[in-house]
Amino acid sequence: MSKIFPKSANALPLQIIIFLGILGGVAAAGITYYATPAYLRVGYQPVQPVPFDHSLHAGQLGMDCRYCHSSVEKSGTSSVPAAQTCMNCHSIIKTQSPLLEVVRQSYATGEPVPWVKIHQTPDYVYFNHSVHVARGVSCVECHGKVNEMAVVSHDQPHSMSWCLDCHRNPAERIRDPKDVFNLDSQTLAAQGKLADAQKFVHDWKVKPPQSCSGCHR
Amino acid sequence: MKRKFDHSAPAGLSTGPKYWRSLDELADTPGFREHLAREFPEGASSMEGVDRRQFMKLMAASFALGGLGLAGCRRPEAHILPYGKSVEYTVPGLPLYFATAMPLRKSAIPLLAETHQGRPTKLEGNPSYLPHGGASSLLAQASVLDLYDPERATAHTKKGDTLSATQVNDLLAGINKAYAGSGEGLAFLADESASPTRARLIAKLKAQFPKAIWAEYEPVQDEPPVAAAQAAFGRNVKPLYRFAQAKRILSLDADFFHAESGSLYYAREFAKGRRVTKPTDPMNRLYVAESGFSLTGSMADHRLRLASNHILALAAAIGAHVLETRNFDPLAQGLDVNPKWVEECAKDLLAHRGESLVVAGAHQPVAVHCLAYAMNAKLGNVGKTVDFVEVAPSGASTIAALATAIKAGSVKTLLVLNGNPAYNAPADLDFGALLKSVPDVIRFGYYRDETSALAGTHLAATHFLESWGDARTVDGTIVPVQPMIMPLFNGLMEVELLARLAGEAKPEAYEQVFATRGGDKKAFEKFLHDGLVAGSAYPAVNVAFDLQRVGAAFAKTPAFVALSKDNLEVRFTTDHKMDDGRFANNGWLQECPDPMTKISWDNAILVSPRLAAELNIVPAGSAIQVARKEEAEFVQGKENARVFELTLNGRALRGPVHIQPGLSNYTIVVPLGYGRTQSGHIGTGAGFDAYVIRASDGLGFATGAKLTDTGKRMMLANTQEHWSMEGRDIVREANLEGEQGYAVNPKFVRENTIDSHSPPVLGKDADKDLAFIATTTPRGNSLYETPNFDGIHQWGMSIDLNTCIGCNACVVACQAENNIPIVGKEQVMRGREMHWIRLDRYYSDGKVDARAMADLLSKEPSGNRDLPEDPQVSMQPMTCQHCELAPCETVCPVNATVHDEEGINVMAYNRCIGTRYCANNCPYKVRRFNFFDFNKRATDALYMGPLGHQSEMPELVKMVKNPDVTVRMRGVMEKCTYCVQRVQQGKIAQKRKAGASGNVEIPDGTVRTACQQVCPAEAIVFGNIKDPASEVSRLKAQDRDYAVLGYLNIRPRTTYLGKLRNPNPHMPDYSALPLSRVEYNNKNHPAHGDDHGSAHAVKQGGHE
Repeated sequence: MSKIFPKSANALPLQIIIFLGILGGVAAAGITYYATPAYLRVGYQPVQPVPFDHSLHAGQLGMDCRYCHSSVEKSGTSSVPAAQTCMNCHSIIKTQSPLLEVVRQSYATGEPVPWVKIHQTPDYVYFNHSVHVARGVSCVECHGKVNEMAVVSHDQPHSMSWCLDCHRNPAERIRDPKDVFNLDSQTLAAQGKLADAQKFVHDWKVKPPQSCSGCHR
Repeated sequence: MKRKFDHSAPAGLSTGPKYWRSLDELADTPGFREHLAREFPEGASSMEGVDRRQFMKLMAASFALGGLGLAGCRRPEAHILPYGKSVEYTVPGLPLYFATAMPLRKSAIPLLAETHQGRPTKLEGNPSYLPHGGASSLLAQASVLDLYDPERATAHTKKGDTLSATQVNDLLAGINKAYAGSGEGLAFLADESASPTRARLIAKLKAQFPKAIWAEYEPVQDEPPVAAAQAAFGRNVKPLYRFAQAKRILSLDADFFHAESGSLYYAREFAKGRRVTKPTDPMNRLYVAESGFSLTGSMADHRLRLASNHILALAAAIGAHVLETRNFDPLAQGLDVNPKWVEECAKDLLAHRGESLVVAGAHQPVAVHCLAYAMNAKLGNVGKTVDFVEVAPSGASTIAALATAIKAGSVKTLLVLNGNPAYNAPADLDFGALLKSVPDVIRFGYYRDETSALAGTHLAATHFLESWGDARTVDGTIVPVQPMIMPLFNGLMEVELLARLAGEAKPEAYEQVFATRGGDKKAFEKFLHDGLVAGSAYPAVNVAFDLQRVGAAFAKTPAFVALSKDNLEVRFTTDHKMDDGRFANNGWLQECPDPMTKISWDNAILVSPRLAAELNIVPAGSAIQVARKEEAEFVQGKENARVFELTLNGRALRGPVHIQPGLSNYTIVVPLGYGRTQSGHIGTGAGFDAYVIRASDGLGFATGAKLTDTGKRMMLANTQEHWSMEGRDIVREANLEGEQGYAVNPKFVRENTIDSHSPPVLGKDADKDLAFIATTTPRGNSLYETPNFDGIHQWGMSIDLNTCIGCNACVVACQAENNIPIVGKEQVMRGREMHWIRLDRYYSDGKVDARAMADLLSKEPSGNRDLPEDPQVSMQPMTCQHCELAPCETVCPVNATVHDEEGINVMAYNRCIGTRYCANNCPYKVRRFNFFDFNKRATDALYMGPLGHQSEMPELVKMVKNPDVTVRMRGVMEKCTYCVQRVQQGKIAQKRKAGASGNVEIPDGTVRTACQQVCPAEAIVFGNIKDPASEVSRLKAQDRDYAVLGYLNIRPRTTYLGKLRNPNPHMPDYSALPLSRVEYNNKNHPAHGDDHGSAHAVKQGGHE
């Protein structure tokens, strides 16, 4: 055998074992880090350029989501409001607040306010807000109770399997259409009206796509 | 309606020169030259240039980098950047559509521009303009890429110094002042235009500067000469053909699908006369006599190969029969055409008075047009199949007159508006030298081109998508040109330039166009909204043909020239893609293969097989039909062409020779528009310049040319080297009438084809309706677990081969819609073009037979040994067929390609690992692989891995991308998706509308694929096959519906409607069967004995 393996090969078994050990460790670390839902940013709570308080505006003041996120019923994106929208009120109240300086600047110069993106879909995913809210899926299902958040954080995992959970079983998550923008409302299932929800799914032909083309184009 | 937005150009764009500087810097580095020289050595999948050790080092380094970067991968911070102030009508994520138009010479194509937050990405035909019905052309589709060309002129310059906008205004005002009064010494050379505003301003200029010269020049002629109409009718009229009404059409060297003004309208109308839905429907018959092989020729039922010089003789010969006069006999002297062809053709025209049409090519001499007009008048076609409309006389001087003035030294200031005379003026004028002799040349142009190089001052023009303007379409309808975006590089609009020269008080282009339209705000807004002025088409006028008056036109007809190998005719053609050379720097167009030759990135000297044989240049492998064993001139997309020198009247050029079946024997065709020396990275050096041999006396064609071999070779990128169907029934054809025609045997696409030999694909369900088959019928006992097609819609497509003219518009429309990259000539030569849809072009001459395979090894094998001299052409758009039992899906190891529940074969790019098994297993060869990061690198740079020097695609070019479609990366397979983004948007819109109801089915016709939308012939129809009332279901229910390779039991969702030909049984070249059909019979049902060439007349149906 010595003709085939040189002497240095004697160390090989040990090297292999060590190598496999390291590989296993890296793989385990990688899987824990990347493949578990926690990776998908739940709890992400970046500091925004303007400390906008949703719990104040949407909660205490009771403003409708759509006042600011105006394209949510028309377009794929729900749209973050232009500074102009903020100024509709803030040109009257809190006109001198230093916290709003960025907004006033943006309104004056046209330079956008650099809001930090919290919910980020990858480039190859084409999520559409309008179709979800039109068919009984409330904001709260994906974004959590934003009306209670002083600082918005990432509430749900937004992984593909999480999307599919609902797409495979929409009746569990569907709301009465009039409750879609009411963040304190309950799903029909939670109200014990699962049969109604199932009827809706059937009658409205709610068939959420489960194949690739639904989201990937 | 378009408002003038008062927003500044996006911050990133105002520093425009940055983008082209980055390219420039790249071009200057020694590394770039090196890349060019050794870019992609043979076998790019093997590693060359990087040795193994270096590769390991690089890889180790990139792994290390990956490790370091892990922490950074976790949460890259991204920003949402809303507007400061909301923009009118703009909803983030939704496109806006505005009406505009693409002006081209004396016509325009009305368009709808899709803009995403102020960024035009895609152009569609404006459906309000009924003659085009929402279709658009190849050039219109590609024009949006020019807007984002980083190599366009980005600044106004004077002798190398940049001029500010104010300086430009001062310059123009200065000219107005300096030449005030007479205008002596001032001259203009402009391109042709159909803009009413421009015409108005020119009139003002002429009034102000009566002695100034206003000359117009277009290198190619696309309208019949006005002199012909003057001679025939004594009026300044032009013909408008109504092809839909014409049952018999004779084309005298006219390529009305491409080279004639109004070709889009004509193609659409022709298709209407061609379309049949049942065996009893009438269909038009097309006779074509031509020297080259045009798209029109490819649709011909009877095609006569005839030198352009001889067309007059043919017109005279046919005219003699039609007009019943012997006056024209002297003109017909020397014509070498079977008299029966002439006689029967004339007889057929005479039998269809009032519903026939004679069309002459714009490049033909006045006499041919007069004869065509005379025949149309005599046949009673005027007012029925052809209308004459009065057009304003242009009043412009010619380039020759201008040249004389320059030589006389009387021109002091010359403004060259658009065009490119230094490159494309007639060679005998030597216009480049003349330009140098003018003291002050001011050039207004989109590119810094050959003419700009000779001009002291260059003013950067705006793209039509950045300009205010107006135009008239071919029928005279007035359409607006409105800007979609602020001028990216502060370019100047043509209207504004003229207005400033004329010293207008309000020189802004908007104000000028507004003034032309009468200054009524409300009417103007409607004009912009609709994209046209209803009822503004030229009215048809009554014309009387006067045979006496016409006599003068025949006085100076070009002499009939007998042609031979030593006295060849050269035909200069408008290129399908470059047009006259103005689109040379457009990568989409350069890469799009020529519809007939299938050559991309180059032009070639086209010669007939006969001439090739006489020149002894028939390549050993050109005859590859069945015999593929020989050494082929073609290797995987590369055509090893010989370089010849073409001499014409003492002027010479060199170019690669391509043997083109179907040419007139001694005519060589040279497409114009290539060989640019001052274009960009894309246009410069592509092809050869044919203008250098083109003189004023032979702009369309000239005789006296000679070809000599230089002994050199050159590689051409050719996307379809294999030109024969080899007797297979890929394209299924029949004659309309006759013993085996469609009328007698409506099921010709199934009976007597390979389908009748295969096991039954649908079994007992064969007679069930489409919806049932698509959703319910078991998939032929396939072992593969098939998806459930339980979606609300089932998508399918039908392509009518009978109306498809092979114009390639779908290829570029798809490229624009689906973010398909340009790969470059080198990669096309490796067969790596990325087009999702291609046009397969097949020749058949009826000579394939069964012996070819058997005696392949004998000394003199029979079969199709020669390139066909006079073939029939069959065009077939080929794209992913969305097989219900897709062979690609069964071999994908990672389920990256699977079906969705609505029957679309989808690609999940993020799953694909690039094994390419699917492409190997696809019987249609329609899958495309990203061998490189084509979207990341510039087209002329090699991707060097993550650590290599990255020449990113300029930011500007990225602006053309469709935001609704993923931009694919290296190592990913892609293919036609049935425009799944449009399907999904359609479904979403419908669901949004449905809300709390079950009305989620999309109405038929709301979702249209990009190829369908652009198609001038309406040959492509897409829709829901589950709905029996949908257009696509009705088409698929026709007898002519068949699946290509359907016998493989893959059940494609895209099916074709068989092609029909309508030959005249009395014609000498009548064939009882289409030649492809003859080949099929010869190969598959060989007759006994030696009678292989004849049609196999026995009906072979009933194999089931």
